[in-house]
Amino acid sequence: MPRKEITLSRTHRTALIGCLVGLCTVAIAPLFLDTYFTNILIRTLLLAAVVMTVDILWGYTGILTFGQSAFFGIGAYACGLVFTHYGFGPGWALGGLALALGSAAVVAAGTGWLAFFHGSSPIYASIITLALPIVLTQVIYSGGSYTGSSSGLSGFPTYFWSLEVWFWIAGCFLVLTTTAGWLLVRSDFGRVLIAIRENEDRSAYLGIPVSRIKTMLMVAAAMVASVAGFAYAAFSNVVAPELAGFQLGTELLIWTALGGRATLLGPVFAAIGIDTMSSWLSGAMPFFWKLLTGIAFVGVIVALPRGLAPLISGLWNRLRPQRNAIDFEASVVKAPGTRMLQGSFGDAPPLRIVGLSRRYGSLEVLRDVNLIGKGTELLGIIGPNGAGKTTLMRCISDGKERTTGTLYINNVEIAHSSPQQVVGLGVGRSFQNTNLFETLTVSECLKLARYRIDGASLFSRSDTVALPQPSLDILQATGLDKKLSEETKNLSHGMKRGLELAMVLATEPSVLLLDEPTAGLTRPERMAIGSVLTKLTRDFGLCIVLIEHDLDFVRAISDRVVVLHQGAILMEGTVEEVVASDLVKAVYAGHKEDESA
Amino acid sequence: MGSVIFDILTTAGILFVVASGLMIILGVMKLLNFAHGAFLTAGGYAAYLTGAAGISPWFSVPLAGIVGIVFGLLVERTIIRPLYNRPLDAILATWGLGIVISQIFALTFGRGVQFAPSPLSGTIEVLGIEYSAYRLAVSAIAVLLAIALIALLSLTRFGLNARAVIVNENLARGLGIDSTRVRAITFGLGAGLACAAGALITPLLSVDPNMGLPWLVNSFMLVLISGVSFPSLLLASLVLGGTQVLISTFISPILGGMTIVVLAAMILRLNPKGFSRA
Amino acid sequence: MRLKSLVFGLGICLNISAYAADPIKIGIPVGLSGANSVVAPSMVQAAELAVAEINAKGGVIGRPLQLEIADDGSGAQGAQRAYDSLVFQKEVDGIVAMETTAARNAGLPIVNRGRVPLIYTSFYEGRSCSPWMYINAWVPEQQVEPIVDQFMSEYDAKKFFLIGSDYAFGRGMLKFTREYVESKGGTVVGESYLPIEGSDWTAIISQLRSANPDALITSTSGGAPNVTLTRQLRSAGVDIPYGNYAIDEGTAKSMGGDAEGVYLAASYISSLDTPANREFLQAIKDKFGDDAETPHELSVPLYDGIYAYAAAVEKAGSTEPSAVIDALSEVTVEGPRGAIKMDKQRHAALTMYLGKVASDGSVEVVKSFKNVDPGEQCPQFAD
Repeated sequence: MPRKEITLSRTHRTALIGCLVGLCTVAIAPLFLDTYFTNILIRTLLLAAVVMTVDILWGYTGILTFGQSAFFGIGAYACGLVFTHYGFGPGWALGGLALALGSAAVVAAGTGWLAFFHGSSPIYASIITLALPIVLTQVIYSGGSYTGSSSGLSGFPTYFWSLEVWFWIAGCFLVLTTTAGWLLVRSDFGRVLIAIRENEDRSAYLGIPVSRIKTMLMVAAAMVASVAGFAYAAFSNVVAPELAGFQLGTELLIWTALGGRATLLGPVFAAIGIDTMSSWLSGAMPFFWKLLTGIAFVGVIVALPRGLAPLISGLWNRLRPQRNAIDFEASVVKAPGTRMLQGSFGDAPPLRIVGLSRRYGSLEVLRDVNLIGKGTELLGIIGPNGAGKTTLMRCISDGKERTTGTLYINNVEIAHSSPQQVVGLGVGRSFQNTNLFETLTVSECLKLARYRIDGASLFSRSDTVALPQPSLDILQATGLDKKLSEETKNLSHGMKRGLELAMVLATEPSVLLLDEPTAGLTRPERMAIGSVLTKLTRDFGLCIVLIEHDLDFVRAISDRVVVLHQGAILMEGTVEEVVASDLVKAVYAGHKEDESA
Repeated sequence: MGSVIFDILTTAGILFVVASGLMIILGVMKLLNFAHGAFLTAGGYAAYLTGAAGISPWFSVPLAGIVGIVFGLLVERTIIRPLYNRPLDAILATWGLGIVISQIFALTFGRGVQFAPSPLSGTIEVLGIEYSAYRLAVSAIAVLLAIALIALLSLTRFGLNARAVIVNENLARGLGIDSTRVRAITFGLGAGLACAAGALITPLLSVDPNMGLPWLVNSFMLVLISGVSFPSLLLASLVLGGTQVLISTFISPILGGMTIVVLAAMILRLNPKGFSRA
Repeated sequence: MRLKSLVFGLGICLNISAYAADPIKIGIPVGLSGANSVVAPSMVQAAELAVAEINAKGGVIGRPLQLEIADDGSGAQGAQRAYDSLVFQKEVDGIVAMETTAARNAGLPIVNRGRVPLIYTSFYEGRSCSPWMYINAWVPEQQVEPIVDQFMSEYDAKKFFLIGSDYAFGRGMLKFTREYVESKGGTVVGESYLPIEGSDWTAIISQLRSANPDALITSTSGGAPNVTLTRQLRSAGVDIPYGNYAIDEGTAKSMGGDAEGVYLAASYISSLDTPANREFLQAIKDKFGDDAETPHELSVPLYDGIYAYAAAVEKAGSTEPSAVIDALSEVTVEGPRGAIKMDKQRHAALTMYLGKVASDGSVEVVKSFKNVDPGEQCPQFAD
């Protein structure tokens, strides 16, 4: 496929050119700068690299972190402590750098463990990142003469290279880390980060290990920040608690916001510009300068959430001749046979529920539900609103949901598994709302669904996605295979439903949970979906659990129907038996008003 | 030993008073108000100005409350309302607002420390222990405030609407509740409570442009751990504040200073629901 | 008001630079923003007064002095910028600095790199040494003795309780205090610290009460932690002898009755009844009128420091850095604090005054201690 070669190299070529231009600028800049500006810029360039990591964490992944300064401080103190107390020389410097990287990684992993778990709120995670630098600063203060307490450490031996050398070190570090960051956010993995930002829950139900990715990203960002901190300390020959403080942490955020989050270069230039500017403005009007930054910050957040960078790039785009954005041509292929959907044609039921109940305080939403879903079976679940149908789905797809009871997927007890682990056991769940990832394209969405199985490349972008046969069938049936490069927000409702289903199937489930998959669809669309579902059970041995209000649709495709009422199974049987039941009629009649409300 | 029990009770009272304004905003609006510290500071300056104007210090708290409500309504309209659907941006915007407010105070009053007169000075003897009269008074006020807030939420029309919005905003709107109005009033109320709290604690401390900052993180932790219920907040203040006092007194005040943050983070990690009984 | 005097001050710098060629530039890094911004205006005034007086008498070696003021943000990062700007952009000949320890530490490497003489004029926790630095303010050796001796002799105190903020100055001062108290036969029954920004002293006051000491000595960070501690001690009914290392006259005055009876030791107290001090107070008033800030323990050493630099340049005959550094240990400055010579391992013997806060917040001088030695600060510079 020659196409692939061209598109791949385009992203990399831009990165390479940008990187070279950056390095050349860094190489010649000291010739034009006086001592004062060189000095100021060395420190600023290192901080800009930290700002870049803040943008990846917050702008791209949606982790609002106040604590990136802590890792900068850890790097700085690793340098200061090693050179002050232990020794100085190339070996010690490398050892110190390793210490910086190691401790930053450990602290970041610990913070990630505290902040990111399934069900943690983004606000809680933010507060943890806010607490981190506060606690760390306190530890530094308590360190007495070892850490230098409030005075910090100063005058330790270090490399007194010329300013140009330090400028080159700082500049190259910034250019190289930013290039890596640039490639990362444009890679397949970068799409995963955006998916987490846009809809974390949905990502988890596609089997993406959200918490682990966030923690790993935090660790990586922490390591970059700690190297910057190490260099900062080695150059300036000073470490002080404020380098780890939350004041600096919030400043990093402010620069990111002003520069334009999720633009990567915007925050980097904002950091360089604002930090340099504040060097001379803060002396002339110390309080007023801070006030102005504060006002600008609030204004940008409220009125220009994308920051200033888009304004400038918008201008740039208008000035330069419009080039046709050749969004690369995405394509789908069939996934290798060994990894096809694996349903069950045998006796072992893919889904077994024993004595499941769910209570919210004193309210019992599900009560002693026992259910078996066999392979090749399409199980319809009906019942009036509030009967607990969606709660049942939730209990099957998230191990932490149920209050009591045992659940087996393919004979494996799900225990307290998180949704992404349950996906790994073979459960696929589609949602009532078509909450897709608005800014991603169809093929990117499908790639997300394949993340658990195929992974994602960190620094490059592939244009093909391998899908199991049923997903391909749905794409074909709904015409989505012609719209692979379309952003999902432009799709029709029916196509969104189809994509949703294709994504769930791409995770290769053996138990498929569908919550009103045909709501709002036209009759032909329904029939198409219906035949796909029948085919899935028949040809692939899937167990499908379907919540549906439309009894006709259920009758057309289900083998067996379970009626839920007030959290308990009222009856179980064929559609005919259920419809004929007086009990069921009474229940539905009693709820007629609720239904229409 | 007896005075430690008083320390625990009064510390819990102060923490409750300081965090209650933050809690009501988080509960109803799902918004963590990072300007809370600045609102506390504003209350402190209100108390200082009341004292400087020669008005009885007892009036400083209600006056600060009124100023806070007006200011809160204004902020809600201009900054908070456009950010309803962007909770993390709201955090940043309120943080920026906090910076702006404290810089305005620094420009107006200088960075120096100011004082507000205390309505009660010296100690009184309770159960054979000499204890700071004003701290005891603050605790009594905390209990009254807790009762008043619980009554407000469970007995009034506004409380009913607010609870409806807390449980399910869309449903509440469907039932004809003007959720925009509920939110505006809530933010005003929260800001008013914060300012009043600032005025209340100032006689124990002093006022400067960053006075509220040290209270901010502890307050965050307390409200996150209490869910949206004033009884849980009372319990959380007592348990975490009590632990803080015990660690400060018997181990080290420095560890004590980190107690609430570390303990609350651990509790929330192990049980995300914290002290709230859902 | 502060802003006005500041703008006014900057205006003066510009004027001076206009009137004569080739001035001697003195850099003043100072915390215009951040914690030190409270005391910064009085420092700027003291510096301006010194420069104006020296220039009125014809300058130094025939050249006028010129001030370059830079904001250090009261912290390390700001100080790096301020020193960068002073040393490499403004290319000052000397620096006179009243700053936090963190800011000084951040500035020292830049001073070393740029080879600029630095006179540090803030009291501090001691033992900071650099070939390019002199210090003309007190260290623990000079501060602790007057207060502890007073408590032991006057109140027969044996058991001391120490309270501090957890930072270098707080810990450094109290460490020395403990050693001194124990060397004099007393005991320290408790030593407790609160985080630097902390202002709720409840638990520590409980510890204090249960330890039941004869006297209390505190070394907190300035501003809110210090005043809240004093107020909370008072409202808890603590009335044992109380020495405070961090209180200054202005703070005592603003606290009104709460500070009454607090002991402090200082190398300068504005109520000093000496001709030199009377003259100095008058000069400040004449120059700045209604905007005049009351001079204090932090601003007067800065004033002295500029005179010391001028005297050293005069003695060396040039602004050549190493010549000035050599001369600095040999010149004596007669200022509001009396005669000061920085000849003790880069530090100076100082006359210390024991003060006690009166009920109206003013500070009365109880005793004075002539030429208290700073002790072994930087043995590498002993001659």
